[in-house]
Amino acid sequence: MAQTEETLERLGVPADKLEHHRLRLDDDPDVRTEEMLLNVGPQHPSTHGVFRLLVKIRGETILDAEPVIGYLHRGTEKLAEDLQYTQIIPYTDRLDYLAAMLNNYALCHTVEEALGLEIPERAEYLRVIVMELQRIASHLLFIGTYLLDLGAMSPFLYVFQERERIVQMFNKICGARLTYNYMRIGGVKWDAPPGWLDEVRAFVPFMKERIKMYDDLITGNEIFLNRTRGIGQYDTETALKYGLSGINLRCTGFAWDLRRKKPYSIYDRFEFDIPVGTRGDCFDRYYLHLLEMQQSLRIVEQALDQIPDSGPVLGKVPKLIRVPKGEYYSGIEGARGELGFYIVSDGKDKPYRLKIRKPSFVNLQLLPELLRGQNIANLIAILGAVDIVLGEVDA
Amino acid sequence: MSEEERKAETTAPQAPSAASAANRAAGAGESGAKAEAKPAAAKAQAAKAAPPDPRVEAAKAVAEQIKQVLVREFGEAAVEETGVAHRTPMVRVRKQDWPKAVEFLRTHPDWKLNYAECMAGTDYPDYIEIVLYVQSTELGHFVCLKTRTDRDPAEVPSLVASHPGLNWEEREIYDLLGVRFTGHPDLRRIMMWEGFKGHPLRKDYREWD
Amino acid sequence: MDLSRARQLPVIEYEGFTPEENAELRKAGLVLAPLEELKAWARSNSLWPLTFGLACCAIEMMATGASHYDLDRFGIIFRASPRQADVMIVAGTVTKKMGPLLRRLYEQMAEPKWVIAMGVCATAGGPYVRSYSVVKGVDQIVPVDVYIPGCPPSPPALIYGLNLLQQKIRREARGRRVMEA
Repeated sequence: MAQTEETLERLGVPADKLEHHRLRLDDDPDVRTEEMLLNVGPQHPSTHGVFRLLVKIRGETILDAEPVIGYLHRGTEKLAEDLQYTQIIPYTDRLDYLAAMLNNYALCHTVEEALGLEIPERAEYLRVIVMELQRIASHLLFIGTYLLDLGAMSPFLYVFQERERIVQMFNKICGARLTYNYMRIGGVKWDAPPGWLDEVRAFVPFMKERIKMYDDLITGNEIFLNRTRGIGQYDTETALKYGLSGINLRCTGFAWDLRRKKPYSIYDRFEFDIPVGTRGDCFDRYYLHLLEMQQSLRIVEQALDQIPDSGPVLGKVPKLIRVPKGEYYSGIEGARGELGFYIVSDGKDKPYRLKIRKPSFVNLQLLPELLRGQNIANLIAILGAVDIVLGEVDA
Repeated sequence: MSEEERKAETTAPQAPSAASAANRAAGAGESGAKAEAKPAAAKAQAAKAAPPDPRVEAAKAVAEQIKQVLVREFGEAAVEETGVAHRTPMVRVRKQDWPKAVEFLRTHPDWKLNYAECMAGTDYPDYIEIVLYVQSTELGHFVCLKTRTDRDPAEVPSLVASHPGLNWEEREIYDLLGVRFTGHPDLRRIMMWEGFKGHPLRKDYREWD
Repeated sequence: MDLSRARQLPVIEYEGFTPEENAELRKAGLVLAPLEELKAWARSNSLWPLTFGLACCAIEMMATGASHYDLDRFGIIFRASPRQADVMIVAGTVTKKMGPLLRRLYEQMAEPKWVIAMGVCATAGGPYVRSYSVVKGVDQIVPVDVYIPGCPPSPPALIYGLNLLQQKIRREARGRRVMEA
């Protein structure tokens, strides 16, 4: 048994937690435990895709965890080297498939920065509206699946109602439900069809009501609180050291939102807050998703008021886009954190090298640290709150 | 020229946006853009050669400042090149000094480049280049640091000691580009399986070899 | 014995029986069918797919199973374990790293079992057909019954595909080889 304690100590289990585990393991002389390897995934309903986690447990305590990724590695970066810039846009859809609009934008933004293109006003507003709607859709799915992981079935069924409305709106504007390929370098492909903006306007108050409903339904739930509060806690310093971004960074109380810190597009024209957490635990990460949806609705509302009634939606862009020789990096605030594209161009119409700064990939690295010393039941709660999308982790 | 910066310049700027525009030019305000721009191998801006972009000039000045800081600490040979990567100050560090320089800039009170944003490796015909975009969350600097290694054997000292978040990025670069990071705690393939032959992101990779 | 309900049933004349025997069967309220067909009828109305989301298509699969499209009304309920499932919906890109695991999951499923290739990636590699790490179609690993095109297929397309699989199960039970729907 002394060995257990030593193992726990070696793995950096905090002193107060050590006491907890020692009691559980050593109180009963009849209880004998041994280290055991538990394999989670790659086919597991709570890993949100093909993510594999090798967990070493003793009794119910996690001693160590090793994530294994790459089961969805599709070689997007290599494929992109053989594609023209416009042809890469559909591939970005399939990275973070819950927030495809944001991915579209991240690539277009980097290329536009490189070319110094001017984007028509109406296109900018349409982009912001679809991006914020996309953020809402993505956060909704997080709430649904996270609660499903924790054992609550009904939020999953609820969120798909609103998500379906958003998806139907996207379907009307670009003809796809999930992989939109809506943005182009220099603007967007299609103008909003007649009545579309009114539909969005009608959606905003509906969504506000629903957010309130989720707040009432979930936030105060005692079981939910017990399972998330104080679980998977970390501080700002750790988060920055590990390069976390998005909600995973903001939950520690650090207001870091690229829409404010490095304003891109037309985000400097809108009023919105950056909600931050206080404790940096799973509950904060859940709650920030709700709060961010509210802020996104605020942005959508303002954008609907400001959008010009008509005008071009695609700027003057050469037929064949050649990016000047050089290297370019720009990041945007994706639904999961900083989503960036790094492009090396040799002056041709195809990138020499394209590297994607994948927020889920970076955020996931902290997972073993968070899991060490935890109870096995908290594994899914912690993993779910990181909010990963495997298409992005593996690219 | 990007949309939001153009607006920040032309329209009456509100306080937050002006501040962040300065952020993006990576400390343009404090450097004052007085330092002479070295005719270095600035790669970007071929298109805008005629009137020099003030943001590019500012970035060049910042890169010079970083060079001086590094040269004072590690000697003249440590910095191989300065310039700009688009509008970001770029400093290329000698391979041997790579982790020390990154750690030094991370803790240096004037720079505090504590947040590693993006790490990438690029396979060029004669060398492999490792690029690291780092940021200071406190001071608003945004800098591109680079180092180079031969293609064969490709070896670069690891940065995991200063930025634990680069652990997987380095594993990915090792996996896809075949750069061996010395001193990395757990250098294994991450995307492909053990036993996979070759490094797919190398330009001479052929699937059927 | 009240036979009013039996009289309301459609008049079925079974081949190979005399009219008297047929009348007898009707009177008793009996329906005859080969056991295989009956089994196929039951199986096709309670397809339990394996929760096996690989990539983007998984989201559309989830959307199909959730409130708006509601797969439960077809008796289709997702199971998390291959031991309890009889349909594998391969929803997404199959990589070379995932291939052996997919095969093992397929082998863990109990007979009878069917496979649906959802989306172009599972069908033939799709947009990633030129990638170094992607399997060019899941039919190189497991036999596929229904291919659903689309990137990703919309929920109605998935429902249509599942309906085709139901038809296929019933037709095959009659001893016909199903080449197309």
